[in-house]
Order: sequence, then C-alpha cells, then structure tokens
Amino acid sequence: MPVVCVLASSYKVSIARLNDAALAEVPVIVADRRERGHAIAVCPQAYALGARVGMTLVQAAAAAREATVVVDDPARGRALWERVLDALDAASPLVEDAGDGVAYLEMRGIPGSERAWLASVRDALAADAECAALPLSAGFATNKFAARMAALAGNGTIVRIGEERSFVAPLPLQVLGLDPGTLERLDLLGVRDLRTLAALPHGPFVRRFGPESADWHARAGGVDETPVVPRPRRIAIERKMFGEGTAEREEQLLFALRTLVARVADDIAYAGKRCGALELELECEDGDRIALATTLAQPTAQSTTLFDLLRARLEGTALQSPVIGLRLVAQRLEEGGTELSLFAGSDPDPEVVGIALARLEAALGPSAVRRASVIAGNRYEARAAYEAFAGDAFTRSPRISFAPPLAPNEIGTLAYRILAPRAIDVRVLRGRPAIVTLPGAAPSTVIDVAGPWRVDEAWWAEPIANDAYDVLLDDGALLRIVDERGTWFLYGSYD
Amino acid sequence: MRAALSVEHRAASPEAYTLAEERLLRSGFRELDAALGGGFPRGVITTLEGPPGSGRSAIAARLLANATSQGLAALVESPGGAEGAFYPPALVAAGVDLSRLLVVRADDATAVARAADILLRAAAFGVVVIPGVALRAAAWTRLASLTHRANAVLVTLGTAASDELRYFASVRVRMSPATVRWSGEGGLFCTLAGLDVEAAILKHKRAAPGKRARVVCATFEAREGAPLAQTTLRERTVATAERTQTRGRDVAV
Repeated sequence: MPVVCVLASSYKVSIARLNDAALAEVPVIVADRRERGHAIAVCPQAYALGARVGMTLVQAAAAAREATVVVDDPARGRALWERVLDALDAASPLVEDAGDGVAYLEMRGIPGSERAWLASVRDALAADAECAALPLSAGFATNKFAARMAALAGNGTIVRIGEERSFVAPLPLQVLGLDPGTLERLDLLGVRDLRTLAALPHGPFVRRFGPESADWHARAGGVDETPVVPRPRRIAIERKMFGEGTAEREEQLLFALRTLVARVADDIAYAGKRCGALELELECEDGDRIALATTLAQPTAQSTTLFDLLRARLEGTALQSPVIGLRLVAQRLEEGGTELSLFAGSDPDPEVVGIALARLEAALGPSAVRRASVIAGNRYEARAAYEAFAGDAFTRSPRISFAPPLAPNEIGTLAYRILAPRAIDVRVLRGRPAIVTLPGAAPSTVIDVAGPWRVDEAWWAEPIANDAYDVLLDDGALLRIVDERGTWFLYGSYD
Repeated sequence: MRAALSVEHRAASPEAYTLAEERLLRSGFRELDAALGGGFPRGVITTLEGPPGSGRSAIAARLLANATSQGLAALVESPGGAEGAFYPPALVAAGVDLSRLLVVRADDATAVARAADILLRAAAFGVVVIPGVALRAAAWTRLASLTHRANAVLVTLGTAASDELRYFASVRVRMSPATVRWSGEGGLFCTLAGLDVEAAILKHKRAAPGKRARVVCATFEAREGAPLAQTTLRERTVATAERTQTRGRDVAV
C-alpha cells in the first residue's frame, strides 16, 4: 500500500510563528493558557535551552529564559489544518486526518512513481498560499508508520519496498509514542532503539508488555498494517440567487432572502441534518460583497427560525447600493434532532433567545454579548473571564422544573465594580492615603483605610508589583485604590 | 386576627395568591420587600438611585440572583464607563448563576437602549439591569411598554434619574450608605466587612411611597469567611450632605 505522509513537526509552534512573524527566529514556547498554564509545544531551540512539553509555564519560562511564551490558538490551528487537508484532496482521493499536523494519503491506483506522487503533494500544497507558508514535510513508504518516519527524516524521503525495517532500525524508541514508564522499563532491559526491540522474540515480549506491545514490535520491524481511514466528507449545503433582478428596498431583500432560506431549509431537511451556523453573502451592484455569519443557539432545520435569525443579523447592516445576488451556506450540520418537550416548564424558548442574541450581535458587535465565569487567579482582575454565551444555558429541560426561589437572606452581598484603571491624585500622610482626588472632582478626605495588600508576581515576565488599599471617603464612596510604584490608580468601587 | 384570616383565605384559594405573587419579584430583604409592598413589581421600570458606594448594585445583584434561579437574566454594562463592570466573583457570592446571566457590553446611551429593547422584546429575561443613562422620553416610553409586555423588571442603576426616567419609572428607590463596617482596627489587619444602606421609596405607583428600609450587606470576601455577626467589627457612620438633602427634599419623613 503506497502511502505518503505529510507532517508538520511542532505544528502549534508553526501556527504561532505564522500569527506573529517576529517569532520566526526566536525560541518559542506554546502554552495552553497564560494564567497557571502548561507548555504544550516547544520549538527545537527552546527544547535545547531546557523547556519541555508538560512543564508548568513558570518552569518552562525559567528553563528557557530567552524563549517567548505564546498562548495556543486551537481555532486557527484547526482551520488551517482543514485547509491543508482540502488542498491534499487534489493529490489523492483518500486522505486521512491523523490529528493537527499529520495526514496520510493512499496513492494506490494513482499513476506515477514515488517521486511523482511526492511532487503532486508538493504542488497541491503550493497552490494554497497559507498552506505553502507552513513548514510541511512529506515522506513516502509502503505503510503509514514508515511513511511518517520518512517524513520525519526529511522532506522528500522515499522508503522503498523491503527497506522499511532497515530504515526505522536506528530510530529511538520515543518515535513509537510510548509512555515514560514503559520507556524506562525497556531502557532497564537495554532496549533503546527499534533495532533492539525488533530483535526481541515476539511472543515473550507481548506476554510481558501486554497486547498493545504487538503493534510496537511490528512497527519496530517496519511493519504497520493499519489502513488509511478517509476523513469524513463534509456535506456543503449552499444556495445562490443571482440574475433575478435587484433588491433596492428592505422588503425586496427580505422577500428574496425568505425564498432562499426556504430552499436551504428544504436541503437541510432532505439530508436529515440540522444546521448550527449560517453564512450569508450579499453581492451589491457596486461590486461590494458583504458576508454575515450567524451562529444558531440550537441547531435547527426550521426555515422560520433561520429566516428570523438572518433578518435580525441584517438589522445591523448598512447597504450602500442595491443587492444583485445572495448566497447562503448552511454550516455545522448535525445529525437528526431532538424533540423539544411539551412539558418544558418555564424555561425560555431557545429559538427566541437565539434570535435575541443574533440581534444583539448585529446591533452591538459580536464581542458585546458574553457570559462571565469565575476562574482561579491570584489578582482580583485575573479571577474572572468572559466567553461567548453558549446555547446550553437555555436548552429546555425535558421535564418541568419546580426550582424554589432563593431562600430569604437578610444579609446581602456588596457588589464590587471593576473600573478601567484611571490615574488619580492621592496625598499620603504617615504612610497612608489621606486625601484622594478623582479626575474632575474635588479632593475628598479619607475617613477609613484598610491595607495595603501587596501584589508582587510575574517577576519572570512582566513584573506586577503594587499595593492595594480599600478607602472610605468623606462622601461615602468605598474605593479600591492601588499604588503602582508611586503612581496611584483607581481600580474599583464597592457598591 | 387579620393574619389568621389571611392565612385561611390563602389556604382556601392558593391560585389567587400564586397569581398575585407572580406580579412581584422579592429581593429577599424582608424590610425592603415590606417597604415595597411585597417586592419589586414586575412589568415596570424600577430605578435604584444613589451615589457609588450606596449599595444599589448589591440590590441589583440580589434581583439577578433571584431571576437566574428561575430562568434567564441580563446585565447591560459599560466596562469603560464611570460605573465600571460588575465583578463576577461578587455576583456568584450574591447567588447569581453566571451560566444564566447574559452580560451585554454597551458603550453609550443609544447602545444601552438598543440592548434593552432587544432583551425585553425577547421576553425571556426576568430581570434586565441597565445603567441609568439619559434617554429621550420616546425611548423610555418604548422600554416601559416592552417591560410591561415581557412582565420583566427593568432595573436602572445610576446616581440620579433623569427627568424623563423619573416620569416613566413606576418605582424609584433612593439608596444611601448608613454605616460602614470594618473588621480590625485599621491598616494591614483591617478589611472591609460590610455596609448598611438605607433605602427610601421615592415613588411607587402600586403601593404607598415614602417608606424606608435598612439593608445589611457584607463584602463577598467577608461572606466567604467568618459570619458577619461573629466578626469583631468597627463601625463608621456615614453622614453625607447628599443624604441629608435627600431626606429633606424627596421623602416625606
């Protein structure tokens, strides 16, 4: 089975370098998140400096002080890899997606030699500018494991029939992806490369290390019988409306849109799917194209819901000239659907909420509608995060819920309001704030003060060192003010 | 005797009382609910007025907590504005279910009005909290109508209500700080423990205005620690000029 493997080693690092050209020459550590994060990918330079995958961010940054830490962008990584897979479709009809950064192409039945197949893969990738920017390597062999090792060895490496065992023999055991415990056990037995492993007797080795070790033994001998599994085909439901006149008024546009949505909804229902997102493109007479993307709170195939959402999305759009064409694409198609219960209690209708969200996004922008969450953090500002308001919050429950109202509590909770930090004037007497002057206000006397609470962290990156005080002013305001190395800021207020 | 009759009547006709109670949203503060005639009425605009530090956000947070325990609620805020943004951990401490709270960022008065319009039109949010921005009378008319149709509580938070808002709000509550409590004598070993606020009902179209209530609030950090009553407290009474003026001008004492 002739197989070509396309490999992007350190794929996440490559994505980070594509996002920021300044990272091209510097060591890079990719972390899952900035606060209390872990290293999930390191470039060879950072590895040489001592950073390792799995270290905490503090450990990795301390080990490789010259390295730049960036936060992973999984959405961008996935989107780009989908582009790579789409581009590879031009080289073979059978492409396997083996995760971000690895793809296999089966070349059986495609005329040509090994070199021609590798050249066709290179041409397919070169046709897309973004794919061409990725440091991809392609290797050929007669099975997936050997092809991957060939791609790892260098771009354009060819392993011919019968050469697989000798090609993989000098490679270290780490290429098998074994866990550290197993690697240590094999090391104690003196097994450190694939040649030694392949030389072990198959039966006793498998009995000692378990059934999964049969695969390790086979791969050490250059044998891999796993087939290339084609990636699932995406169904694209798309309808266009061109050359049927121009829409100059809102009513005309909505009439055309209603017709288009009905056709798309029919297609979705015919495929037995539900749609989770819509992309509408308007082509105007002056050549302008306006793309509007809408996410559905709950996937559906109902044309009325789809139309209402798109109409809400259009509310925030200003058109400069008549519309001459419409294109509507249904995305995120899901299987079947769940029946909504008749006995859903007082839970809000998800479609109604979804339309309200679409309207808010159209009117105020996509980042204006959010949901807050509490996360772990040392500083006040780092203990909250905002994310998109997902549909699971208002999914109807299958039964009536009789949630009792909150029990009466005579003691309320004082709210804290975070303010955008503003420089303020503070006069200090005997080491404590005495008079506070807010921007545009008269000086206020401090009646009571609590603090300071010192924050001193992130010394390894951008140092944060300040002293925070809670003060009660003579006008009754309860504020949190912060002294950052002699400059005072207003951070928040209790209310 | 009246209480006994009331209980008997209630037992005989629970449906009538359920309907009546659905027209109110209780804050859970007994004194404040009593001053409001049972709770905050649904379907109307309510203003919580007072300077920063007067506890208006604490009352709003309690209303959001009650709303999210039953359904969805929405909070419209301007993080870059003078009032800032609600701090999520404090909302959680107040009992708000953040997964059911929609936070909308609106940077100017028009955006606030548009957001409130869309949220109320959906009729899916039991409580909508917005900053008390200055809008034209036409906008408040529209919002009042939508609030009534959605049977929601539209709460505005601000230092003082504009003339238009004073007219269209059915309930106006003036908040002012009364006593600030600190645990400890001062300095490093002192923390803000809580605040007593005074609520004065300036206007109420469905009950008698002019009543007063006192609400005790603890900081969210104090609530996570020792109970308020068991903490060694130092109290400071706040007597601002504004508060004195409010008593004299707006409320018949």
